[in-house]
Amino acid sequence: MNNTPLLYGEQVSKSYGTLEVVKSVNLSVAPAEFVCMVGKSGSGKTTLLALLSGMEQPTSGKVMLEDTDLTRSSEDDLALVRREKVGFIFQSFQLIPTLSAWENVALPLFPLKMAKEERRSRAVELLARLDMQHRLDHLPTALSGGEKQRVAIARALVNHPCIVFADEPTGNLDSATGADIMAILKGLQHEAGVAMLMVTHDQELAAQADRIVCMKDGEVSV
Amino acid sequence: MNLRYMVKELYHRKTRTAVAALGLAVGICLMVVINALALAYRQAAQAPLKDFGADVIVQRSGDVPREISGAVFPCSAVTIKSDEIAAIRRLPGVRQVSTALLMWVFDAQRMAIVLGIEDQGNIGPAILRRYVNAGRFWRTGRQEALVETAYAQQLGIKPGDGIPLAGDTYTVAGLVDASRVPKVATANIYLPLAQAQRIAAASPQLQAVSPFAPSDVNLLFITADQSKTAQLVSGIEALLGPKAEIATPDSFLKSLGSLFALSDKLSLTVSLIVIIVTVLITFKSMAANVAERRREIGVLKAVGWTNRQVAIQITAESVSQCLIAAMIGLLAAFLAVAALGLVTIDIPIPWEMSPSPHFMPGGGDPVFKTLRLPIHISPGLAVFAVVLSVFVGSITAGLLSRHIGRIKPAEVLRYE
Repeated sequence: MNNTPLLYGEQVSKSYGTLEVVKSVNLSVAPAEFVCMVGKSGSGKTTLLALLSGMEQPTSGKVMLEDTDLTRSSEDDLALVRREKVGFIFQSFQLIPTLSAWENVALPLFPLKMAKEERRSRAVELLARLDMQHRLDHLPTALSGGEKQRVAIARALVNHPCIVFADEPTGNLDSATGADIMAILKGLQHEAGVAMLMVTHDQELAAQADRIVCMKDGEVSV
Repeated sequence: MNLRYMVKELYHRKTRTAVAALGLAVGICLMVVINALALAYRQAAQAPLKDFGADVIVQRSGDVPREISGAVFPCSAVTIKSDEIAAIRRLPGVRQVSTALLMWVFDAQRMAIVLGIEDQGNIGPAILRRYVNAGRFWRTGRQEALVETAYAQQLGIKPGDGIPLAGDTYTVAGLVDASRVPKVATANIYLPLAQAQRIAAASPQLQAVSPFAPSDVNLLFITADQSKTAQLVSGIEALLGPKAEIATPDSFLKSLGSLFALSDKLSLTVSLIVIIVTVLITFKSMAANVAERRREIGVLKAVGWTNRQVAIQITAESVSQCLIAAMIGLLAAFLAVAALGLVTIDIPIPWEMSPSPHFMPGGGDPVFKTLRLPIHISPGLAVFAVVLSVFVGSITAGLLSRHIGRIKPAEVLRYE
C-alpha cells in the first residue's frame, strides 16, 4: 500500500454558530486504504465525511485530495472533483425514484459528453459485477434494500473514483445483507484499488477495515 | 440536459406533471379564447360594411321633408356637397371613395326607394352589378333601371317593362338580388347615379329641405387605411359638421354592447391578468417541485453535477411541462372555439342606415345583421400561446435556479 496520502485533512474544524462540531481534526487516507470511522451519534462523523469529501467547507483547516486543495476550490471545481475522483454511498441509498437501476448507476455520467450506449455498458458492467444484471431496468421501488445499496455502490464506482465515501452504507440493512455489502466494498477495494472512508456504528464491520478512526465530541482518537 | 431523465421525471410523476400542466393549460385556454372572442367580435362588427368592401360609410342627417310628395331625402341622409366629397378624398388614410344617392320617390300610384349608384367600382352599391339575376345591367347613356327582385315580384315587373318614376319612364334592364348587399343599399329601384342626381336636383320638395346640385350625393362609401380610421372619422366630422353620421367597425362594435366587444384594452387587461395568475401558479408549482426534490438535487450535486447542469435539467423539465400545458390549453381552446362558432349574434343596424321610411309599415322595426360568430384561433395566436408557455417555463425555472444553486448536498443529505 502506497503511504503517500490520497486524502489529507489538516486541522479541520467546523462550527455552526457557537457549536463546534469538528475540532481540529487531522486525518489521512492512503490510496486503496480502507478506513472506518466509528463513534456515537452526534460525534461529528458525518460532518467530517462531508468536509473531507468537499461536500461541505470547513470553518478552518485544509483538505487535500491528491493535489487538489478542496478548501480553496470553487463550487464548480468541487463538482468536477466529485465527478472525476470521488464516489458516495449513503445510508438511505439516495437513488432517483424515476430512473431504472442502470440509469441510477449512470447518473454521474449524464453531464458528460458520452454516447448513451457507453453509459449503459459501463453501468451494466458494474451491476453485473454486483450480481444485479437481472434488475437493470427495475425502478428503485421494485428493489430490496440490499439491491438498492448495490445500485448505489455501482453508482459510486461508475466514474472510476480514487476514493469512495460511505456514510453508514449498511445502516438500513439487516445484518446478513450488511455483511454482503461490506464484503463487496472490501472486494472492490482490493480489485479496483479504490480507497474507502466509511462511517459506521457497527464495530464488527469496522473491524474488517485496514484502520479504524474513532470520533468523540468532534475529535479523532485512533 | 439529459432527455431520458427529463422524460422519465415527467412520466413517472404523472400527478405532479398533470397538476402543474393543468394550471397553465387553463390559463392558456382562457387567454386564447378571450383573444379569439375579442377578434371575432371585431370581425363581426366589420360584417355590415364588409359586404360593400368599405371601411366607412358616411351620411349626414337633416330635417324631415316638409311635404311627402315627389322625390325627397330621408332625414338621415341629406346632401353631401361635391366640394365636401373632394375634401374627404384628400383626407389622410382615404384609399377609395364611392358615392350613391338615396331618395324616396312618392308618385301618385306608389312610393319607391330609389338608389342612384355608380356604373363602375368595387366598393359601395356599385357591386350590385354582380347580383343581377334576370335581364342585364343597364347600358350607359340609356334611360334604364334595375329593380329589386322581391319588389318586382310584388308588382309583376319584368325585364323590358317600363316603370314610371318622377315623371319619366325607365326601362327595366334587369332584376337584382339586393338581399346580398347591406341594408343601407336595399332599394326598390336602382338608377345610374347621374339620372338619380337629375331627379333630385329637379325636386322642389327636396331642394326646400336640403339644397342639392346635380354633382352632389348623400351616401359615401370609403375604403381606408385601418390604422388611420379614427383620424379619418375626426377629419370627416370636422368637414361635415355635427350632423355627420359615420358608420365604422368601431361604431358597430360599440352597438354590440358585449363585454368582449367593449374594447381591445379589456381583452388585453384580462389576458394580462390571466398571464400573471398563470405565471404565479406555474412558479408555485415549480417551487413546490424543487422543494420536493431537494434531496434529489443534492444527490445530483454530490455525484458531480454543477449548479448550471442541475438548473438546465430543471429548466428543461419546466419548459417541457409548459409545452405540454400549451398543447392541452390549445386543444381545449380549439374545442371551446368550435362550440362558440355555433353561436349566432345580431348586430343592430342603426335606424339612420335603414333606407325604408319609418312612417311606412315595418319601416321603424329594429334591423339586425345576423351572423355566426366568426371565431377562430389564428396561427399567430396559437404560436403566441406556445411562445408564452415556453417563456413562462423559462422564467419560473430561471427564478428558481438561484434557489437551486443554494441547495447544499451535505445539508439535504445529512438527515436521513
